[in-house]
Amino acid sequence: MPIHSSLLKKPRLVKKLRSFYKYVNENDGQVGTKTRGIDLNLNNACNLRCKYCFTNSPKGERVKDRLPLDVLARVADEADELGYFEFDLQGGELLLRPDILFESLEAIKPERFYLYLTTNGFHLDEKMAKKLADAHVSRVSVSIDSMDEATHDRIRGRKESWRKAIEALKHVQEAGMDPYLNITVGHYNAFDPAFEELLKYSKDQKYKTLINVAVPAGMWSMMSEIMLDDKDREHLYNLRKEYKNLIRNIWNPFDKTHEKSIGCTTVNRLYITPIGDVLACPYVHIKIGNVIEQSLREIVEYGFSIKHFNEHSPICLAGENKEFVKKYLSNSGQSIFKPALAKDIFPEADFIDKSNLKIHY
Amino acid sequence: MKQNEENYKNCFSEAFEIEIEKISSDLEYNAIPEWDSIGHMTLISALEEKFDISFETDDIIDFSSYKKGIEILQKYSINFS
Repeated sequence: MPIHSSLLKKPRLVKKLRSFYKYVNENDGQVGTKTRGIDLNLNNACNLRCKYCFTNSPKGERVKDRLPLDVLARVADEADELGYFEFDLQGGELLLRPDILFESLEAIKPERFYLYLTTNGFHLDEKMAKKLADAHVSRVSVSIDSMDEATHDRIRGRKESWRKAIEALKHVQEAGMDPYLNITVGHYNAFDPAFEELLKYSKDQKYKTLINVAVPAGMWSMMSEIMLDDKDREHLYNLRKEYKNLIRNIWNPFDKTHEKSIGCTTVNRLYITPIGDVLACPYVHIKIGNVIEQSLREIVEYGFSIKHFNEHSPICLAGENKEFVKKYLSNSGQSIFKPALAKDIFPEADFIDKSNLKIHY
Repeated sequence: MKQNEENYKNCFSEAFEIEIEKISSDLEYNAIPEWDSIGHMTLISALEEKFDISFETDDIIDFSSYKKGIEILQKYSINFS
């Protein structure tokens, strides 16, 4: 019998997933303005000190803040009504405070979503994995930087972090949730044999591999040289053909040819910070609203009224579009807690009139 | 019809990208890594395309095994006997 976290136990999720799938198919394979997911930074405190953290957690930014539970419950209800089907809980490190995590899960009601955690795996043992599966968590993503223990531990700033991450993924798989091995890829490592070594390991273990492209944000702010270039992108394209378990949020997960991009998912996948600010995505540090002060619908409408987030982009704006990064994401001090305001950085001409706005919920 | 069963099996093989020989009638959801949530929706879409049908949400949820899928498809007038 499928476990609680299984898709087959989540009828509301199936309905929303199907609606998303049909929309994308009928829209030439593009995500358009269809709602997809919520990325929630539940709390920014972390036990590791990763070199490329995009939330500035190693600098101790806002590590005590979190959304009030009543706000979180309302946001989840609104997200469900608007057709959002994915809910990615991240941090910081979620498993530092399991009490916060489980009361938040209760408020979100994960039985309505493909809900997953993105974690460094340090505190994810067998018992915790079972508890998460029982709480309707569908997937757990664990980030790994290298198959070389010392390299991973150096990047993460803590010994034992590699071993714990590797073990965590095994516990996730054994508990019946979807195990995802997350890899950050940029110009600095796209052709590194160590990257392909990780891909092979993930495939052999029957995990899914999620590629996050390196972005010049947070600890790597202003470092545009880390961004993928055309050659790197072509290399990823070829790897995608070879490793069928490879996933990027920008790629069409249902594409049997393993070639198509649904497009950059700004606003389709919103990012909410622990103080309620809503950014266009985890890596585009441009504020489009605040869930404590506004309804999610109002924020989504405003976000999609900005042409850069409304129009199709086959590449990731924050990780691959150097022009966009230079123009809108390179302000000194810009971060998830000090985002640029959309109304300040985009001219009036970049906004679509509400009467011409079509959003697909 | 034998052809329908062959088409049915091919859909599993295409959706999960595994050899047709590995598709047994005992196959169940989550029993192999390929039949996860993404695999399930890919399978549903492959079957809809092949048999020109549109599944009800309840049927997508009930589709928990190879055998159960045959039962469900019969509701859509796809004959396997």
